[in-house]
Amino acid sequence: MTLSSALVCAFVYWLMRYLDNTTGWDAMARPIVVAPVVGLVLGDFKTGIIMGASLEAIFMGISAIGGAIPADALSGTVIAVAYAIGAGSEGAMETGLALAMSIGTLMSSISSMFTPLWAGLAPWWEKEAAECNPVKFSALNWIMEGVRGLPQTVVIFLGVAYGVSGLQTFLNVCPGWVMTGLRAAGSMMTAVGFGILLSMIWSKEIAVFYFVGFILSKSLGLSSLGIAVIGACVAITIFFVEKHALEYGQRQKEGASEADVKENNDEEEFF
Amino acid sequence: MKKINELQAEEKSVLTKMFWNSHKVFHNFNMTKMEANGFTMTMSPAIESIYKDDPEAKKEAYVRHQAFFNTHAVAMNYIAGMAYALEKDYYAGKIPESTINAVKASLMGPTAGMFDSLFFNCLRVIAAGVGIGLCASGNIIGSILFILIYGVTQSVCKYYLTVLGYTSGTEFIDKVYNSGLMSIATRCVSILGLLMVGAMTATTVSFPLNWTINVGDTSVVFLDLLDAVYPGIMSVVLVLLMMYLIKKGKRPSFLVFCILLLGLIGAFLGIF
Repeated sequence: MTLSSALVCAFVYWLMRYLDNTTGWDAMARPIVVAPVVGLVLGDFKTGIIMGASLEAIFMGISAIGGAIPADALSGTVIAVAYAIGAGSEGAMETGLALAMSIGTLMSSISSMFTPLWAGLAPWWEKEAAECNPVKFSALNWIMEGVRGLPQTVVIFLGVAYGVSGLQTFLNVCPGWVMTGLRAAGSMMTAVGFGILLSMIWSKEIAVFYFVGFILSKSLGLSSLGIAVIGACVAITIFFVEKHALEYGQRQKEGASEADVKENNDEEEFF
Repeated sequence: MKKINELQAEEKSVLTKMFWNSHKVFHNFNMTKMEANGFTMTMSPAIESIYKDDPEAKKEAYVRHQAFFNTHAVAMNYIAGMAYALEKDYYAGKIPESTINAVKASLMGPTAGMFDSLFFNCLRVIAAGVGIGLCASGNIIGSILFILIYGVTQSVCKYYLTVLGYTSGTEFIDKVYNSGLMSIATRCVSILGLLMVGAMTATTVSFPLNWTINVGDTSVVFLDLLDAVYPGIMSVVLVLLMMYLIKKGKRPSFLVFCILLLGLIGAFLGIF
């Protein structure tokens, strides 16, 4: 990769990270958004979009575990797409996909080295807040948020500028089965993310819907939007049915306790 | 409970400013106080409006909202709206100061769990499912839909929750929490999430077996045997196996490494 494309990739990393933290949506740094942007700036929009779909599937479950992020989706995406477009050869896309997770894990540990530094700034922030100057406080936040992304941005620049071509040379001298193996691993990698997701929403009562979704897509060939609409109808129906059941149950309970009271009163009168 | 259209112009403008500032919830997120900076910036329009004639109390309010804070980004708006109402009560002498941070602290846990399961575990999966389907065929609409369904929806919720937090106080969250409606809603959105994960398993997970067994003159393609049971059955098996291992406490990075190794060994032996 040329230095200028490495610089552009590093800037995309910095910008998407900044946008993500400024919208607070946790959406702008996702692979499905970042990969097309990287593709666009490197001149291969289509590859970016297609890789975005696969990378989103791979990273979907990964960032969802507790407080510590095991693999950084944003940096994994930037470098994987840069590699696929830079190498340009057949199978480069699959290799990029297979390596994205390892890159993300590496970058995540680099980021965590800086965690104590940013945590140490807390007393300074409190002092700034106590100055009662919202404009200055806000401006400092805007600036520091940009500064905080710089260390990783430098690593991304070096990685794309020198790492990608090194990786390319290395994989070229490897025997053919290495590439086949990486490609196979890349296509199976999504299973890990889905496994994590399932482990969070899986419960015996509703697990059947996982298989329904699989069959709707595999056998009926429905698009994901179509499946989402069907799913929404089912979910809304079940919501209202269960809501009525809940309210009915509560009314029953209230009715029962009122009846009890009445009965007791009757008894007292009787005696 | 006050109605939204009964709010005065100043209250409305403060709430709108709080809504815009609240997007910076993760600005300078750190492990010491987490979202404290984001919360301070969200509260600053309210603080400036309530304590405009009292610099000493204003300073106290700013320091008060620098306390540790962490919840889901959308839930923060509800708590911030409520904190605005509480600050007003405190300034009017109706409640002691400690109530404000006590209410904030008590709501962090339940709201984080509630909103994580709704937005992060479900809406995000649904949005990604729709987006991946379109992007896989090279259509950029997929990415845009992802931002609209997952991102912009959060902003809309943020606005209404800021107002709701201010007008309803703790009443709303208590009602939702105690009525049992929340668990029903979570279960229903999970159904949708499961459907999408199932659909994505079909389209994005593949088990690329390329193994042919030669028995005498006939050769058996192993993948065809498996697909005869049900097309793509190995993808489902692989995903369910991963879920089982995760539930057993295996780390995701360990599983990723295993799959990488499996791919390489399989390719070396000529299975893939």
